[in-house]
Amino acid sequence: MHKFVGVLALTGVILCCVAWPAGPPAAITQVEYRDFPGLSMMDGNWAALLAASDGKVYTGLAYHGGDGHLVYYDSKTERMHDVGNLTALSGESLLKRGPQSKIHAKFGEGKDGRIYFGTHGGYWWDYARYGTKEGYPGAHWMAYDPKTDRVEDFGLGCPNEGINTGAYDPVWQRIYGLTHPRGHLVYYDVAKRMTADKGRINNFDSICRTLGIDDKGQVYGSFGEGQIFKYDPQTDQLTELPLRVPIRPKGISLGRDYDKSETAWRVVVWDEETKIFYGVDESATILFSFDPNSTPNGEIRRLGQLCIPGFEERRDIPYATLSLTLAHDRKLYYAAAGREFDYSGSTGPATSHLISYDLKTGKTEDHGGMLLPDGRRVLGTNSATTGPDGTVYFVGAIEVRAEEGKPLEAAGKIGSVYYRLAMIIYRPRT
Amino acid sequence: MTSGRVQQTWRITAAFIALVLPVWGQRDKSYDFSVVSQVRVDLRDLGYPPVDVIPADESQIRSLTVGPDGRLYGATSGQRSHLFLLAPQHGYVEPLGTLADSKVIHHSLVVDQAGEVYVGTALAVDNNSQGYEHYAGGHLLKYVPAKDEARNGIRIDKPCPVVDLGIPSKGQGIYALAIDRSRSAIYGLTYPDGEFFSYQIQTSLVKIHGRVAKNITPGEKFENEKAIGRALAVDQEGNVFTSGEDGKFYRFDVKTQQLERLDIGVPAVQGREVYNRIDAWTSDAEGKLYGGTSDGYLFRLNPAKLEVVNLGKPLNQYRIRGLVLAHNGKLYGIGGDDDEMARLFSYAPASGLYELLGMIDVNRRPYYSWQGYVFDAMVVGLDGTIYMGQAERKSKLYLYYPQ
Repeated sequence: MHKFVGVLALTGVILCCVAWPAGPPAAITQVEYRDFPGLSMMDGNWAALLAASDGKVYTGLAYHGGDGHLVYYDSKTERMHDVGNLTALSGESLLKRGPQSKIHAKFGEGKDGRIYFGTHGGYWWDYARYGTKEGYPGAHWMAYDPKTDRVEDFGLGCPNEGINTGAYDPVWQRIYGLTHPRGHLVYYDVAKRMTADKGRINNFDSICRTLGIDDKGQVYGSFGEGQIFKYDPQTDQLTELPLRVPIRPKGISLGRDYDKSETAWRVVVWDEETKIFYGVDESATILFSFDPNSTPNGEIRRLGQLCIPGFEERRDIPYATLSLTLAHDRKLYYAAAGREFDYSGSTGPATSHLISYDLKTGKTEDHGGMLLPDGRRVLGTNSATTGPDGTVYFVGAIEVRAEEGKPLEAAGKIGSVYYRLAMIIYRPRT
Repeated sequence: MTSGRVQQTWRITAAFIALVLPVWGQRDKSYDFSVVSQVRVDLRDLGYPPVDVIPADESQIRSLTVGPDGRLYGATSGQRSHLFLLAPQHGYVEPLGTLADSKVIHHSLVVDQAGEVYVGTALAVDNNSQGYEHYAGGHLLKYVPAKDEARNGIRIDKPCPVVDLGIPSKGQGIYALAIDRSRSAIYGLTYPDGEFFSYQIQTSLVKIHGRVAKNITPGEKFENEKAIGRALAVDQEGNVFTSGEDGKFYRFDVKTQQLERLDIGVPAVQGREVYNRIDAWTSDAEGKLYGGTSDGYLFRLNPAKLEVVNLGKPLNQYRIRGLVLAHNGKLYGIGGDDDEMARLFSYAPASGLYELLGMIDVNRRPYYSWQGYVFDAMVVGLDGTIYMGQAERKSKLYLYYPQ
């Protein structure tokens, strides 16, 4: 009997450890945070985070089954502002066809100082009204003008579908998007006030989550098994490049949502200095560079892996997050999940790590678990941006601890731990 | 404890961990969103990946047909049109080459008794007639399958070897074709004017018999479409049926060689008759015709008595764009407009029961997965497999195996 107990105890110890990185415990990174007052029910944020040139940091807060919000943080006054409820801003509060629940894609700043974006739905009636005329009316193209503090609604971008992925190109003044669920490439030409649909790119589960736009306004995304497409606004043509993003072969899900693809890039950032994209793949957080100007069709190089050390070869490496940004110190900063993370759809709570990659030296560094000043954990993030002063911002889930006598302000639970959204602030050492 | 026992304990522990870890890490099955039984639906790429595949922007399948020998032919639409073949004994799609000057092949693919394939081309359809001002006209093409079945290299950039049988109607695209194999006659409709024509295979004689729609559908001032049936059916007597202006049935009487407007109308929502058309046809062994309409109704037409029975609306969607009678005696149809999510249904004529089969979702994870949202062609193979043609920028051929 004592042997069995011994085996069980040993197994228990090992099982407790498998959720955590296999390497030695790393240092801790203390981060600041700002929560979103009055919006504790907001349950997710993906990609929608932009530090604009005036120091305001814009974010889109998602609320499944309800109205998402556009919010900005004024880094000069250190105050958070709720611009408004997206369904109301779309003029659809009384429509009863499904709310504007999210901004699910990147914002862009125009040369006119306006902040451009598209909206997304967050309720599909268990597929009964999935992409139908009875369900979600469709994404709106919008611009927020900080000078007037007003949002201009350009109208419906893609009937019955949301903007799953997006980016703004200030050169051609277009907001681009990949739609959910049908995976079409669409855009809104702000100058011409015209919307266009270039057709289907991919399946709903493998729509890449970031469109990369270079300094000429050429748009790149990934599709298929790590392939890359290019949209040239000059010719209005889509082409498929003979390049492959480094991806790990897809396997049967181990803790990952079954319908999550493992075949695309997850996020890319554009480096103005070298005119190169840097990105990570979805499956194994493989860091790569993509030089679109290298002849004849561009070049991709594998640079390393930005997961928490110890996960590199493991099958349960967490799905890559969207939290990648290039900071002023020429380092890429990435917030790596400690466990499969997708807010309330996470497999369980774990602490995010801050990982950096130095473009000058090629050195990857694990800065350790991200903790708030009071010791609470950052449980996961899915967006990142760098402010004009070099501050790095993330938005994600932070741990909420119930306090006796105080109402619990949380969006839900990750495993057994309550969470809410917050803006997380990291100031790289200069 | 002896070293042997220690080793044994470690082995047991290792085995236990190996068994438990994947289970511990695994999502429960509610995370696996599939909306169609995965036993019953699959897909094929349109060619040999990675090189000889009909590319995006050229792959919308809007025409499918099965020859007397069981070979499936399909034609694509987009920036270029391609003809392709699927021989059921092989099971893969073989591109046969591009079809010159064609961008759209809409419900216009038939095979004669000898196995020769006829294709009707068009510039565009259902686009408010844009581009037709200077269009020379769609061609009727004939493809004679090669006796030598050896693959002939990469085909997607090579022209398909076809015989050009000419332009049935100047300035008009070909909108639909049907064949009467026993009488060696092909019938067609044109776009945008809705002319009905016949082509005699033996004599190569083309004759235009009239129009199924003369006036533009009432609507706003931008409206420039006529209500032309999108499909043709040939009954056992050789008469040809479609729909036309005001949502009425039209019949080509093979004996009198006259095109007639019938008094009976295609089932429609009251008030929407003028917009309603037939999207798809099939027939049963007794000669009854079944049709699907643009309003999404299924109906049965007795072509001898000219009696129509409205069988209702299986989906909360517009259009029934594909309809076949499967070997199990049930009708299978696919519905949904271009901006909707296509759904599959079945109808059992014997019991009158519908079964809603959901979206077209092929889930072969981790190897591949793909959902189809727009479909515009459906046929049943000699072995009972139902083939469905996706009509999107990146399209595939779907196979459905009815139970």
